[in-house]
Amino acid sequence: MKTKEVTIVSGKGGTGKTSITAALAALSPLGIVLCDADVDAPDLEILLHPEPEGDFPFMGMQTAGVDTDRCTGCGKCEDVCRFGAIKVTGGKARVDKTFCEGCSACALVCPVKCIAMEDTRQGTWFRGMTEHGPMVHARLNPGGENSGMLVQLVRKVAKEVAESSGAKMILTDGPPGIACPAISAITGADAALIVTEPTMSGRHDMLRIADLCRRFGTSAAVVLNKADLSSEGSRKIEEACRENGLPLLASIPFILDVVHAVSQARIPSKELATHLEPIWRYLQGM
Amino acid sequence: MSDRSLTVAIASGKGGTGKSCVAASLMVSIPGLLAADADVEEPNLSILLGAEPYASSLVETPWPVIDSGKCDRCGECVRACRFGALYMFGKAFPSPNDLCHGCGVCSMVCPRDAISETGRPVGEIRLCRAGEMTLFEGRLKVGMPNPIPVINATLDAALAEGRDLVIDCPPGTSCPMVAAVREADMVVLVTEPTPFGIADLDLALQVITDLKKPSVVVVNRADLGGSNIDALAEKYGTRVAARLPFSRGVAESYARGKPPASVDDQWKEAMIAIWETAKKTAGR
Ligand code: SF4
Ligand code: SF4
Ligand code: SF4
Ligand code: SF4
Repeated sequence: MKTKEVTIVSGKGGTGKTSITAALAALSPLGIVLCDADVDAPDLEILLHPEPEGDFPFMGMQTAGVDTDRCTGCGKCEDVCRFGAIKVTGGKARVDKTFCEGCSACALVCPVKCIAMEDTRQGTWFRGMTEHGPMVHARLNPGGENSGMLVQLVRKVAKEVAESSGAKMILTDGPPGIACPAISAITGADAALIVTEPTMSGRHDMLRIADLCRRFGTSAAVVLNKADLSSEGSRKIEEACRENGLPLLASIPFILDVVHAVSQARIPSKELATHLEPIWRYLQGM
Repeated sequence: MSDRSLTVAIASGKGGTGKSCVAASLMVSIPGLLAADADVEEPNLSILLGAEPYASSLVETPWPVIDSGKCDRCGECVRACRFGALYMFGKAFPSPNDLCHGCGVCSMVCPRDAISETGRPVGEIRLCRAGEMTLFEGRLKVGMPNPIPVINATLDAALAEGRDLVIDCPPGTSCPMVAAVREADMVVLVTEPTPFGIADLDLALQVITDLKKPSVVVVNRADLGGSNIDALAEKYGTRVAARLPFSRGVAESYARGKPPASVDDQWKEAMIAIWETAKKTAGR
């Protein structure tokens, strides 16, 4: 059987995505590999305590670097940069690496050719071993760029690890939102699990990420968390799932012991066991 | 004292800590504020404020158009594009794909002046109203990879009003968050006292400190978790301005789309105190 990859997403944060990913790992009936693709807030390691097996630099796109000795302060680079990433201050051009997209327009126009495109470290990725299987995770530098590329990288490594270790499934903890990192996390995955909550924002965000999955050809299913916090909200999620052809795999109540487990950096697997059974049945039937 | 308008950004190292609840609660606790939803991937503030859109404008980024009458298929543009966004298949003329950042490099390098630009819609700004409150809501179009142009356009439109402004920022600590806090006089970082909350707040405080922005921390669901936020805040020279306990009442009102401060006095008092701190921080 080919290795399958499931990405756990939520659209909005705070729905319990990471706790559910960790508990799915702990309750897995198959050999798995864990992949934390939420590179901006990589929290899976807090619950899984991986034994480090190596860390590696992540080089994103090249960014512009100015040789200030030769810069004449003419401002041509500032005029041409469409991302507001290069500005002349005190007679010299300076690059704000957070916003430099690495397009090289500035380097092309600089009359004295004092701008070079240079490799820029944007983060770190890690390999580790947990009680429940190998783990690949990463951290984007605060204020960093190119999170989509880093997401692709950890997924690729997780796949290689799965193939060499014979694991049947990769569980990927996805990033929030619907932009580049989320697109990079769902594209090509065998399924997306959308973890949502019974609020109006939960429903709104679930529909946006489901739309994204549809556009990128990834089949999606829903897990409703903290379902008993609003019966009306839960009914609306059920309705939205029906209308949009999204299977609703599980409705999990708000369990205070889950919060307590997470507070002690422990996987809430005991607390969630019965609720996650139907999810594993679904994943195994894929 | 100056009468310059005040801008306060509400941010969070991770989503779901109650960032939008704080933003909406400030709106209903302090009369006369303007709001901007810069969480353009998942804009939720209009839901919490019960605000209805009454006008909208498109946000567009430049999109190259190749004039087949002028192009001689030399391939210069394809080689110069650093995003792999231009392809030339077989005998076809080059054409851009979704990876295009609208940087303009291809039209700069084309020796035959064959590339012009048009606009591509990547999102919209919706003007929303609830009673006396006005909200500028940025919405990224589903499928578009880059939220930054929508964030910038939304903030520019809201800042142009010259009024006291509350910004609901995107979660995380990468470029979208940095873009959203750029004009803020003070940043309110919302967190929860769990190991997740601590780890993500640490990253967020690194970014805010690098940007030299004054900040305060709000601990939401303060009674669930037990991690010590004060020590972390102190390490970065900031402080916890409010601790808000978990309450089923607040959770249920949030589920129905009502901001906590409209049902809970403790929230309302905390919001008033935060606004006073922001005023002092900005020297007003
Ligand atoms: S274009 Fe070159 S010389 Fe002119 S300000 Fe920019 S870096 Fe300096
Ligand atoms: S490489 Fe592009 S984005 Fe970066 S500073 Fe130069 S023009 Fe701006
Ligand atoms: S650089 Fe200009 S002429 Fe050359 S392939 Fe591109 S569009 Fe055509
Ligand atoms: S505008 Fe920039 S990103 Fe888009 S196709 Fe041209 S060179 Fe590539």
